[in-house]
Amino acid sequence: MKRAQIVIAGTVVGLAGLLSFNSTAVNLSLSSLSPATVPPRSTTTTAPHSSGSTPPPTTTRTVPTTTTTAAPAAARSATGGSSNYSYGILSVKVSVSGSKITNISIASIDDGGNPRSQYIDQYSLPLLEQQALNAQSANIQGVSGASYTTAGFEQSLQSALSKLGL
Amino acid sequence: MDRETRRILHHDELVMGTVVTFDLYDENEPSEDVLSLLQEAIGVLHDADDVFSTYKEESPLSRLRRGEIALEQCPKDVSDVLELCKVARTIADGWFDPWSIPGGVDPTGYVKGWAAQRSLDVLCQGAIHGAIVNAAGDTASFGGPHPGERFRIGIVDPAATQRLACVIESPGAVATSGMYERGDHLIDPRTRRPTSRASSATVTGTDLGLADALATALAVGGVQALSIFSDLDDYEALVIDFEGNFHATTGFPTVSIRSNASK
Repeated sequence: MKRAQIVIAGTVVGLAGLLSFNSTAVNLSLSSLSPATVPPRSTTTTAPHSSGSTPPPTTTRTVPTTTTTAAPAAARSATGGSSNYSYGILSVKVSVSGSKITNISIASIDDGGNPRSQYIDQYSLPLLEQQALNAQSANIQGVSGASYTTAGFEQSLQSALSKLGL
Repeated sequence: MDRETRRILHHDELVMGTVVTFDLYDENEPSEDVLSLLQEAIGVLHDADDVFSTYKEESPLSRLRRGEIALEQCPKDVSDVLELCKVARTIADGWFDPWSIPGGVDPTGYVKGWAAQRSLDVLCQGAIHGAIVNAAGDTASFGGPHPGERFRIGIVDPAATQRLACVIESPGAVATSGMYERGDHLIDPRTRRPTSRASSATVTGTDLGLADALATALAVGGVQALSIFSDLDDYEALVIDFEGNFHATTGFPTVSIRSNASK
């Protein structure tokens, strides 16, 4: 099986919560940052092996309003655009093997030291990461839990997924 | 030829200050009709947000709360929802009460589930085997992932939100409320102060609006509020207390529980 690693970093100043995915998507601009410049804030990298790095693709995808799941089986990852969330700016990194998400982490976060946002960082963001993973791994079709304003996370996640063609 | 039922469409919509996801299941690719119903179902959420948002200063609900307009001047949905909230308040023995929120009547605890349920009702018209609308942790669904199966929903463990406390079969509506995500959003109607007596409260039933309200009631009232369900058909509940103990009604549709979740 062919394996390749694709790392993309995107930049977008989103108005999370005000705009829908398809309207923010047109603002996406891709730039080729090394992943080392955005140290993963959060933990485990279970992404399958990769062999070296390939240059970022030069194509820009717009976020589809609907996506059906079908993709080639290869280990890849992408970092979504930076999005405003309630208490700062974050971006999300997604690793996939084929069309299956293997890891989701916060690639960067700037919460301005707001204590409320640190609470959210500690609890909400890992929850969101895990929800996306659980839904695939536990033979369940959904997750029910107390909600928080997740727009920034989801927006960056969506843009990362769309970069991967998922 | 039999083709396997599978998820044929996933959609994320940023609306109501959060993300609502749609998952559709069938053996065939979504038809034009189904895609058009999806757009209509998404529109239902945005319409509800426009009317009921307390964050949009010019929404009819915001204007009603400020006393700028009377109920009769609001869209009919507002009086409809407030009537439903009164019913929910009665059923919930007062543990759910939009009229006790500081700053004026606030049906937010009902609206998210109500809107998701109405959105799902649109999708029900489509020729598909099943669909789930997940409004940031509250799910409305019909059908299942395969013929004869119900959707399985994982309930987040409030003590360690990166894992699941249990998995249940959805009878159509699953709503969870708790202090672990949104801090001080739970108000005790009897004291009008931020209060929570449960780490997490989940309600299953047939309508997500009522389930959402009852989950809020249960998160505020805790184990004592489980009495709400003793004479309420079709609705079941689970309270996880601050020690991690599970308190469920007898009909709560659990499929599996984490062996160490109770401690």
